[in-house]
Amino acid sequence: MTAGELLALGQEVLRAAGEAEAELYVRVAERGCARFAIGELGQHMQLAEPQAVVRVARGARVAETVTSRVDRDALVDAVRATGRAAMLVPEVEAFPGFTRGDEPAGASPERYVAATARATPEERVERLAPVLTAIHNAGLVSAGMLETTSVAQAMATTGGCARSHDSTTASFRVWALATPGAGGAAGYGGQVHGDVGALRLAEETERAIRVCRMSREPTSLDAGSYDVVMEPEAVTELLEWLAAIAFAAPEVEQGTSPMAGRLGERITGDGVDLVEDPLCDDPALGFGAPFDREGTWKRRVPLVEKGVARAVLYDRTYAARMSAASTGSAQLPTLGSAGGVGPTSLMLGAGTAASVDDLLAGVQRGLYVCRLHYVNGLLEPRRAVMTGLTRDGCFLVENGKIGRAVGNMRFTDSLLEGLARCDGMTRERKAVPTWWSDSGAFVSPAVRIRGWRFNGKSQEAVAP
Amino acid sequence: MTDASLHAALAWLRKQPDVRYAEVRLVDEGGERLRVRDGRPEQVTAEASRGVGIRVLGAKTWGFACSADTSEGALLATAARALAIARASGAVARKPVAFPEQAASRGVYETPLAVDPFTIPLESKLAALDAPVRALRSGDDRLKSAEAWMDWTRQKKRLLTTEGTDVTQTFTFGACGMNVFASAADGTSQRRSYPTWQGGDGFQAGWERVTALDLPGNVDRVKDEVLALLTAPLCPAGTRTLLLESSQVALQIHESCGHPTELDRALGSEISLAGGSFMQPGMLGKLRYGSPLVTIVADATSAGGNGTFGWDDEGVPAGKRALIEQGRFVDYLSSRETAAALGRASTGTMRAQGWNRTPIIRMVNVSLEAGAAGTLEDLVAATDDGLLVATDKSWSIDDIRLNFQFSCEIAWEIKHGKRTRLLRDPFYTGITPRFWGSCDAICDERDWRLWGITSCGKGDPMQVMHVGHGASAARFRDVTVGSAS
Repeated sequence: MTAGELLALGQEVLRAAGEAEAELYVRVAERGCARFAIGELGQHMQLAEPQAVVRVARGARVAETVTSRVDRDALVDAVRATGRAAMLVPEVEAFPGFTRGDEPAGASPERYVAATARATPEERVERLAPVLTAIHNAGLVSAGMLETTSVAQAMATTGGCARSHDSTTASFRVWALATPGAGGAAGYGGQVHGDVGALRLAEETERAIRVCRMSREPTSLDAGSYDVVMEPEAVTELLEWLAAIAFAAPEVEQGTSPMAGRLGERITGDGVDLVEDPLCDDPALGFGAPFDREGTWKRRVPLVEKGVARAVLYDRTYAARMSAASTGSAQLPTLGSAGGVGPTSLMLGAGTAASVDDLLAGVQRGLYVCRLHYVNGLLEPRRAVMTGLTRDGCFLVENGKIGRAVGNMRFTDSLLEGLARCDGMTRERKAVPTWWSDSGAFVSPAVRIRGWRFNGKSQEAVAP
Repeated sequence: MTDASLHAALAWLRKQPDVRYAEVRLVDEGGERLRVRDGRPEQVTAEASRGVGIRVLGAKTWGFACSADTSEGALLATAARALAIARASGAVARKPVAFPEQAASRGVYETPLAVDPFTIPLESKLAALDAPVRALRSGDDRLKSAEAWMDWTRQKKRLLTTEGTDVTQTFTFGACGMNVFASAADGTSQRRSYPTWQGGDGFQAGWERVTALDLPGNVDRVKDEVLALLTAPLCPAGTRTLLLESSQVALQIHESCGHPTELDRALGSEISLAGGSFMQPGMLGKLRYGSPLVTIVADATSAGGNGTFGWDDEGVPAGKRALIEQGRFVDYLSSRETAAALGRASTGTMRAQGWNRTPIIRMVNVSLEAGAAGTLEDLVAATDDGLLVATDKSWSIDDIRLNFQFSCEIAWEIKHGKRTRLLRDPFYTGITPRFWGSCDAICDERDWRLWGITSCGKGDPMQVMHVGHGASAARFRDVTVGSAS
């Protein structure tokens, strides 16, 4: 179904259900996921992800239903059942009602590419075949995924709000590995774009092979503080955790966010700009719908400007409670996880360095980090203390040049304090899909941070 | 109607000459997700999901497709799509997937319940959350925010395979807990949770489990501890004897034993998200994983376990087997395909999150067997100098599951067999076999408890899964500890 058809369905459901105050969000994703590992295309899947989220209010009593059934009769039943549940629920403090028809909307960004939506299993295989061959011919083991996804989404309220949007996303992730599952040398490449035809599979595969070859025979480095140059894939992993702990109104209200009570204060380096920019018109950087699940039109929100905390993100209820306006940041609940508030398109501002090599040139002795693994940002959220490890390429940098591979290292440091020691970013930025949700992609340049704290290292081998 | 559709799809697949195996899996689930925060309903959500996933092994490899429409026409089309994907992928397969036959399974599994949670009125559930939240916030301005939650899921699953398997399972999963945040004048914040961190409190049982948890009866202790943490000293860095309380042992098992013994990880099938494993097949029967006190079993039959079932999603019956036997690595969590690669039989651990995901190897209930060190307080009394840490706060481990680091909500220093001062923001870090090798005491059955993780993430696209871990408190020597601050 197209988004327009979903919108018509949603409006018909609301009319038929007869509830006075109701909201219906419908999203139908069709995902083609060609996942390969150990050189074989072992998990190739066509995934259907229909989802409707119904909310009904009886005064300030609000209940919600999430369902995979998006046919008319099932949705009408869902609206009515939600209305019955709402009668049993205590009132929500400062509930502002659902979005009305006269609330502003902007121009809808064009984010639908027919070639991505129509990609067939055969086409995905055809695109991947050279990838598998290249890595095999390099004497390495391949893993990764090529995904082509189309999403139609629409929302309507009994107050007359009506939104719809069609979008596509194509993403490619590839690993070249010295051994299939035991660790050791590995290289990664990846890209996301709205157009499957814009993916540079060969280039990213070559990058993975090159990094894997460079990663052989790693040396071991002691814990300590090192100047680091991090690729965008590493930085965005840190930004994902910053997004989880810092920018949403619930965490601010709770007092656990590093932004809580600090708006207007400097919280990191003056070279740091962080923006929620869901309407970005660059097809390589912007993804998803221009409105949130409540129908609020999204907008560009500068969160941190020149290191100063400027704003946080709200849905309608938190905005009403905290005397602010919704930023269009209400997130969908999914089966198994609560919805909430948060960014979908967090972007770290670009710097002036022409290339990663330029950043490396300013490092006397340090580390070049391609990716991070299993970052966790819950150690001390008020300072954004995070821990995690390097992965898929970590190299010693001496006198501005990349040298020997280094075995994986564990860091524990404050991201905000680290970014205060950042003295270089590239002009070019890259979008990296958020790995733990469908919420979008975060964007970052490569960065250079002085004195990033490493407190441990992994072991390359364990003797039986 | 749906039953006929399932059989029709399977019958069609049986007729296709290049279909070596196929499974048709109906999943119909519903539930509710309730959260009360600071005296208001933060979330009151009913959930429903229904559809069919079809996995087909063609001449060379697999294809998977799914449909929310369970009509016969839709499922026939879905079966055809899954086979078309298998054929398309087969064009680049270097060798055919080896997939050993499995005797057909038939039967019914159902979570035993004393009180069906779906018979408890919604307003009663919300009231059961609201009362402890209000109590957690009362009496001290530093008590900034409190939350309590309750989740219930009923999942009905029907599996039919071309081998004749026909099993029906009905699961009732639950989770319930509470936490409170306190803030000091300087802006520092502390959290204390009960019964453990949110997401570690899952179970397969009914309302009786909520009654037994007794949230109101634990409010005062939780409040006292979170307020005390605001002024507690930081956990000093050093090398210490470390005692982990039961739920922290559970998470330690999850990350450093459960995941690395997944055979798909060890063989390299999960690199694209989760990573690999240091526990390689050549180490089976040889690797000294832990001290002789350490026996860790995978038990999909544990009563009330979050990872308990009748059959996995390949029709393999649930079972119990040791992964670590007296410190030695002896087996994997495996599937039919991965086990065949080692010439072994599947240990029955293939599960999918729902109808629109393909099965992958998942933990069942992976549990540390009880020891002989008495209760937790007995273990404290038997420790001259050490730290006791409780309730996970952060977790991280490397891509082959060797280097881990966990931080916890709270620590107590132990001196001469007694808990002394409280310490805040503790973390500990180590290397998996060295850490488990340093285990010199495990508490007995009186301290053993079956915990449940409700959202273990794995796969690509990500799947979350209910898994269980039984554990009692345990002691480890010479562990690197410090403060996250």
